[in-house]
Amino acid sequence: MSNLLEATDINAGYGEMQILKHVNFVIREGAITAVIGSNGAGKTTLMRALSGLIALQSGAIHFDGQMIGKLPAYERLDIGLALVPEGRLVFPDFTVHETLRVGAFARRAHAGWKARRDQMYALFPRLLQRRSSRAGSLSGGEQQMLALARGLMSMPKLLLLDEPSLGLAPMMADEVFSQLRAIRDQGITICIVEQNVQAALGLADYGYVFEDGQVRMEGPAADLLGLGSIRESYLGL
Amino acid sequence: MDQIASTQLLLSALILASIYALVALGLNLIYGTMRLLNVAHGDLMMLGGYFSYWVFQLVGIGPLWSMFGAVLLTAILGAACYLSIVRYVIGNRELAARLEANSLLIFFGFAIIIQNGLSMAFTSDPRSYGYLNSILAVGDARVELNRLAVLGLGTVASAGCVLFFQFSRFGLATRALIQQRDAASLVGINADRIQLLVFCVGFGMAGLAGSLVSMTETVTPFGGFPYTISAFVVIILGGLGNLGGGILGAVLLAIIEIYGVALTSAAYRSILLYGVFITVLLIRPQGLLGRSAR
Repeated sequence: MSNLLEATDINAGYGEMQILKHVNFVIREGAITAVIGSNGAGKTTLMRALSGLIALQSGAIHFDGQMIGKLPAYERLDIGLALVPEGRLVFPDFTVHETLRVGAFARRAHAGWKARRDQMYALFPRLLQRRSSRAGSLSGGEQQMLALARGLMSMPKLLLLDEPSLGLAPMMADEVFSQLRAIRDQGITICIVEQNVQAALGLADYGYVFEDGQVRMEGPAADLLGLGSIRESYLGL
Repeated sequence: MDQIASTQLLLSALILASIYALVALGLNLIYGTMRLLNVAHGDLMMLGGYFSYWVFQLVGIGPLWSMFGAVLLTAILGAACYLSIVRYVIGNRELAARLEANSLLIFFGFAIIIQNGLSMAFTSDPRSYGYLNSILAVGDARVELNRLAVLGLGTVASAGCVLFFQFSRFGLATRALIQQRDAASLVGINADRIQLLVFCVGFGMAGLAGSLVSMTETVTPFGGFPYTISAFVVIILGGLGNLGGGILGAVLLAIIEIYGVALTSAAYRSILLYGVFITVLLIRPQGLLGRSAR
């Protein structure tokens, strides 16, 4: 498998504050890559840097054979890179319907957005039931599905997910994870940041462990799950 | 009591409502999208008014045509204002943190420049002209044709603007930007371009309103401020950033003003206006159609 995204020696943060320190990071095409680590390890900053919400202080990002380190966030959608952000960031006053429509705003996603919207309703039947409801009135789980569907409406090659199970009831989280499998099977590459280490590594092919803004460990997800140090630090076993 | 039920008053209220709606829309757009308080909005109206006045005086073309020029003039000014100052302020981390307060200063300065520029160029004499001023009978009411033109064009422009933002792609993107800036860029919306267009449309609406109002009211360099105030009351009534709510707010304020003055006296106009303003701020600060702060 080739690398869909390659971040080389990236430094990023907010203003003067540096969070990510010399991070090298690779996402393989067609795989699910998991990023785990404690709070404040820089996982969300990594997602924000990859999606262009914050600028790099230095370093390079290649995506699909293109340098994208200086590309603004809204242009990264056009080349197939989408982020489902932490906290979901739904448009509170848009209905489910409008949200899916605006999800297909990127140029590459114009054509056939109605068919894709129907696919989303097939993938998330709950959204179909609530298609005329305001996004702000949905439950946490429904909002997560909506954010996921909004991301998929842009026809991404790579879907970045930041804490998709945060604040969800366990059953709801399971549902989200099983949908991620279905999405991967459609050929969309996924990179997921998760608190739920067991579920994330169980789902993923490859994993990164972040600590203090740096890559502490990486390897096939199954190997990481078997490591004593991971089990101790993140699974409490 | 007969007077209260008259067509005359109803018509006056509708005409005033159409002006308020139009004036408030432009202000609401810019505030809703960028949290910028354009206190120069009324002065932009006067600019549009002067434009139509001079076009009428110099070449004899009425505001039904010159309004397009007034829109273009103010829209270009909007683009210039955004590209030269606002974009820089938004892009600068430290300045952007105080954006709402800074915008007051920026636009206040802008207002002073427009007012005094107009005053220097055209003196501070009130200007008016007669255009479409034949009197028509509508039911038992009598009304000048130009006031009906204001009602018609104001309504069409306001409704068109609201529908455009409700149903067009650009409108969808603008509404997304109003709700969630980060998420908007995450679906591929170029905030910079939307903001530029919003400035053009917002300023252009002020120019249009001024051009229309110049048919019925006098234009003076310092005549814009009352419109700015009324527009603020309207959008606070309807909910800041809520375009549909602004239309409702305009109708309500016009009714309160016209009928309130008819029931009391013209001396109470300001008291009514600010009374409504303060009451809404006390009881329902998010506006009639607004939702509580998120």
